[in-house]
Amino acid sequence: MVLVTSILTLFKSILSAFGKGCMGFARHVGQISLLIIGIVRSLLQGGVSLKMIFAQAYEQGIGSLPLVLVTAVLSGIVTSQQGGYQFSSSVPLYVLGSVVASSVVLELGPVMTAFVLIGRVGARITAEIGTMAVSEQVDALVSLGRDPVPYLAAPRVVAGMIVTPILVGVANAVGVLTGLVSARATMGLGPEGFLYGARMYWHSWDLFYSLTKAFVFGFMIPVISVHMGLITHGGAEGVGRNTTTSVVFMIITVLVVDATFPPLFLN
Amino acid sequence: MSEEVTIQYEDVYKRFDTPVLSGVSLSVMKGETISILGTSGTGKSVLLKTTIGLITPDQGDVKIDGESVYHSSRAGLRDLRRAVRYVFQYAALFDSLNIYDNVAMGLDPETIRTLDKKVMLDRIATSLENVNLDPGKVLSKLPAELSGGMRKRVGLARAIVGEPRIILYDEPVTGLDPVNAATVNRLIMSIAERTKVTSIVVTHDVPGALEMSRRVALLDNGKLRFVGSPDEFRRSEDPLVMAFADRTAAARAALKLIEHETSDEDEEPGSAHAVSIGV
Repeated sequence: MVLVTSILTLFKSILSAFGKGCMGFARHVGQISLLIIGIVRSLLQGGVSLKMIFAQAYEQGIGSLPLVLVTAVLSGIVTSQQGGYQFSSSVPLYVLGSVVASSVVLELGPVMTAFVLIGRVGARITAEIGTMAVSEQVDALVSLGRDPVPYLAAPRVVAGMIVTPILVGVANAVGVLTGLVSARATMGLGPEGFLYGARMYWHSWDLFYSLTKAFVFGFMIPVISVHMGLITHGGAEGVGRNTTTSVVFMIITVLVVDATFPPLFLN
Repeated sequence: MSEEVTIQYEDVYKRFDTPVLSGVSLSVMKGETISILGTSGTGKSVLLKTTIGLITPDQGDVKIDGESVYHSSRAGLRDLRRAVRYVFQYAALFDSLNIYDNVAMGLDPETIRTLDKKVMLDRIATSLENVNLDPGKVLSKLPAELSGGMRKRVGLARAIVGEPRIILYDEPVTGLDPVNAATVNRLIMSIAERTKVTSIVVTHDVPGALEMSRRVALLDNGKLRFVGSPDEFRRSEDPLVMAFADRTAAARAALKLIEHETSDEDEEPGSAHAVSIGV
């Protein structure tokens, strides 16, 4: 009898936690939807300052470029080295060019850049807006008759959508180039062979696919980080908690979006 | 003084984890300064924030000049907010903007767009001078470069630059030394006298509230326990009002509360409060 009661209590707790989780998720989805509607409306009404968009684009783009380059260089080298290791016995080495180009352009360029932006831009946005929320600066903005969406959200989101595809384009080019250099330096595969392999399985669609993915990441990362910043409460602890949660949400979102792209666009 | 009602709180309820406001009704007359007193956590700031929709009540309504804050259109609410300025407890200046831009935020966006730069600078400088700050010294500084008292005065300058009809002060002297606190209280009085603005001051500074206000309200456990003139407040025989009006009575109440808690730990929660107000 005691065992049955314990199992029932456990089942009830699990169900309750699941219900709370679902409600929390639904609340986030609803709030994010309203935020997106607000951003679209403020853009349509022309209420977003171009100066603020450029300032955010500079911060997000130029500020993130060094780390994106480092990540792209290492991605190209690692892909080239590991591919070369696997192909050395049975597969012609020039196929390595295709493997590096496809891996970097379809997957590593957009996803690694997104991870850099999550850490460097997304976390910063949540912490910055979260601090404004807990120090009543967001309330002050509202009390002064200003809508926080065109002031705080829209410039960051528009900048993200502009800058991320550019950064991913640069990361793709640098990743493939360093893959080429690495293949020549360590496996003796010359540029002609590498590029021959790369062209053999190349589709122009791949670049469009890569940049579309970047555009979606560039939209989702600032949207989630702004949302998590705006709902922050509870002082410094709340800012820390929401920044961590925001990073977790952004990583999961990037991975889920990344997983939904191939069945939607590559089949 | 005209008896026209400017702000009307109608049976306002708000609950977070526990009830914070439990049916607050209050009329604030045009041009009057009313102070709201109460122990910490009794919902004073929450009540103030419901005035301009920063916190939405669960039940009840707030009207400004007869227009509901919670049943207005988006544009209507924006217009209502522009008639009101809120002075935040810690000033809530924008960290990334200098003092000029912070004070300029107190003006309507249309005014900022249309006003001549020189005229705007003059208005901002005048606002800063009205709160005893030297524009030449502070205009280009960031909020982080100013002291707490100066930041509060910049918050006041931001509130008055747009010549609002209503100013809401959320604990304007909290955290200030007595000299700076007296300065801020004097400024609130002089702003009210000069501009005839309607003011609600949430404060713990009882002497300051009694000096500057036409009426004083005491909020207790989410309900208005007392509303009256400073003289009525001083003469009141309500134990909690007496505890607020008289430091000796407050000290006696605190002592009695401590004695009660130490000698009678097994009693039900809530009885301590009954003792604290039963001096």
